[in-house]
Amino acid sequence: MKMSHYGTYWVSFFKGVILVLLILALTGCSIGGEKKIKIFSVEKPREKLNYEMPTPLQMEEIKWIIITSENADEVFKRLQDAGIDPVLFGITDKDFQVLARNFAQIRQKLQETNNLLEEYKKYYEDTNNQ
Amino acid sequence: MFSTIRMIFAVLLISGIAGAGMYVMKLRADNATLKANQIKLETAVAEQTKVLEQQKADFAAIMESNKKLNVLINTFKKDLDDLDKRFTKKNRDIGKLAINKTKAIERIINKGGNNAARCIELASGAEHTEEELKATQKSEINPECPALANPNYVHYE
Repeated sequence: MKMSHYGTYWVSFFKGVILVLLILALTGCSIGGEKKIKIFSVEKPREKLNYEMPTPLQMEEIKWIIITSENADEVFKRLQDAGIDPVLFGITDKDFQVLARNFAQIRQKLQETNNLLEEYKKYYEDTNNQ
Repeated sequence: MFSTIRMIFAVLLISGIAGAGMYVMKLRADNATLKANQIKLETAVAEQTKVLEQQKADFAAIMESNKKLNVLINTFKKDLDDLDKRFTKKNRDIGKLAINKTKAIERIINKGGNNAARCIELASGAEHTEEELKATQKSEINPECPALANPNYVHYE
């Protein structure tokens, strides 16, 4: 059967339409392309550990009493007169030196620790060393 | 015959133009890739420079901090030596002195105790008083911890 020129034109047209529809069906209307997901990272610095520095100590006063064999009676009488129990917790002169030295060492350790804490704080918080 | 040759030439011409076009496209793509690489390299170099500068600054900060801590530890040693000297200077015997001059030594010991307590307060972070800051003479300082209590005092014999 010979088709007319007009008929051939229409058959070609429909073939084209079918082809376009087929392509659309296969690509899922995504000829323009899906938008690409962009993944980006933002560097967020760690939260600062904003502890307050420890409250300074407030030391209470201690009164030292020196007691010798000569003034012992006088010292105990003075305590009794003042309404204080006539009892003393004593250390020798040598132990007093040791106590003074121990006291100094505790103070130095406290100072060293506080200083280290300040240096750490300065290093990690003042500059951007994070 | 002539039409066949013309067709071959036409195909060759079209292929040539298409090939040239594709080659140009490839060159352009390569160029874009190289440009992107260049930008990445420049960024990487800049970042590396920044990291190196930061490392240098960190190193300087660590050195400075170490120096400060060393100075502090040396001060501690000196303070302890000074404390020992106060008890033993010129063969001093604090026990015998306390027997002979009980009241005076009691006063000195109590004053020393208060000074030592003040040193503890300062070491724990207490603020200096005006007097402590102004002290420059031996008679004005806290002899238990002059470096800590009196920052403006310069040691002299």
